[in-house]
Amino acid sequence: MLKVEHIRKSFGKNVVLRDISFSLKKGEVLSIIGSSGSGKTTLLRCLNFLETPQHGKVSVGGETVFDSEDESSRKESEIRKHRLHFGLVFQNFNLFPQYTVIDNIILAPTLMAKEQLRQHGFCKGADNMKQAQRMIRETAETLLQKVGLSEKSDAYPGSLSGGQQQRVAIARALAMEPDILCFDEPTSALDPELTGEVLQVIRGLKNTETTMIVVTHEIGFARDVADRIIFMDDGLIEEEGTPQQVIDNPHSARTREFLARFKQFGD
Amino acid sequence: MDQFWNVTLTLLEGFTQNCTIFLLTLVMAIPLGILLSFGSMSKFFPLKGFVRAIVWAIRGTPLLLQLFVVFYIPSLVWDISFNRMTAAMIAFVINYAAYFSEIFRGGMEGISKGQYEAGQVLGMKKSQIFFRIILMQVIKRIVTPISNEIITLIKDTSLARVIMVPEMLKVSERFTVQGLIWPLFYTGVFFLLFNGVLTLLFSFMEKKLNYYKG
Ligand SMILES: Nc1ncnc2c1ncn2[C@@H]1O[C@H](COP(=O)(O)OP(=O)(O)O)[C@@H](O)[C@H]1O
Ligand SMILES: [Mg+2]
Repeated sequence: MLKVEHIRKSFGKNVVLRDISFSLKKGEVLSIIGSSGSGKTTLLRCLNFLETPQHGKVSVGGETVFDSEDESSRKESEIRKHRLHFGLVFQNFNLFPQYTVIDNIILAPTLMAKEQLRQHGFCKGADNMKQAQRMIRETAETLLQKVGLSEKSDAYPGSLSGGQQQRVAIARALAMEPDILCFDEPTSALDPELTGEVLQVIRGLKNTETTMIVVTHEIGFARDVADRIIFMDDGLIEEEGTPQQVIDNPHSARTREFLARFKQFGD
Repeated sequence: MDQFWNVTLTLLEGFTQNCTIFLLTLVMAIPLGILLSFGSMSKFFPLKGFVRAIVWAIRGTPLLLQLFVVFYIPSLVWDISFNRMTAAMIAFVINYAAYFSEIFRGGMEGISKGQYEAGQVLGMKKSQIFFRIILMQVIKRIVTPISNEIITLIKDTSLARVIMVPEMLKVSERFTVQGLIWPLFYTGVFFLLFNGVLTLLFSFMEKKLNYYKG
């Protein structure tokens, strides 16, 4: 499904990703752990075209979506075509404050539908805007139900708790039907008592066969939900394997050291 | 009573000059301010430096001085002269555009990068991100500072008297030299009424924009 090859990214002299390669099967959940500064966010940002790696190749379902050798894959129009393979849930939600919850979810799909109707005359079985809008709204309502926020449909983000905002952000990302949904520490901006509801929603997605990459500090959650875990250290994949391998029987001394810090806090 | 109406009409005539400067300045300084704000945020360093230097100079010197410069310098140096109203307009528009541009820039720079990125990740185009996401948030952020600036503008219009534009304070001098002091204070009533209406309008807008937090 997803194949990432030899990604290298530096900011000036600061080399952040040294040589990252991994692949992911459809429906698989990959969890990335690692200390802060190890490059986890940068990796997700590269996958979502928010940063351009200096070197490397990314393909989704056999189609190359980024290749540092190919100049044209850096063009704005090419990026827009490919970026919807990925979705990203940010650490601090980034909901649009001036739109209601439901409008946050339907804004991008509506704009997309308009564009597709104009260009191709149809959009996912709809051949006019009214029909498309009805479908988009139905999908959005289903998604809101899935994240348990149907009754907040007409609320503004500013009136929601952090946990609720993050659940809306997840619904918003899902509305674009990405092949791979990425989460960047989705609970680290939340009060501890609110992390559970968000993790529960992500757990729920696992059963729907969404391919996911979850960067997290919640080691217990990673062990539960992930099919595979990558431990990143200083821009490299230090260790990779099943949760049992990486968390319960880590080979690398660095992994052990990292995990020991968490176990101290009773994780 | 006759005298009262006479004074009222004369002052009103002067006040139309204030209103003209006010309206024309708004209509021209806002778009120019937007342009300048984009210049001052440009990634092209020479443009950014140039615009910031101009804005700094305009904001750092009195409007009074700028009025003198625009009115007298061209006639002294190049032997061209603007009529009084044109000179006043040039000075006001440039001065207010500089202030507006700083407010616009502050409003734009206050929007978190995450708002742009959230739009990008959802596949929105740059223009869609600007018009659908950013613009409204900028407007909400700047409505109060812009309102303050606009209220200052109507008061500032009376500075045009230094280059003999027959605005309200200038014409009220006619009565002062005759020994009538009250018309001078009466001009204050015009400003107060005008700003009363503006204040109502702005607080209505602020309330409208308060439908969401953040
Ligand atoms: N836009 C940027 N410009 C310069 N340096 C950056 C930028 N983004 C991240 N970095 C640097 O990259 C390194 C890794 O950051 P990040 O990917 O956020 O790590 P993590 O998410 O694992 O904590 C840090 O040293 C950070 O300072
Ligand atoms: Mg991070």
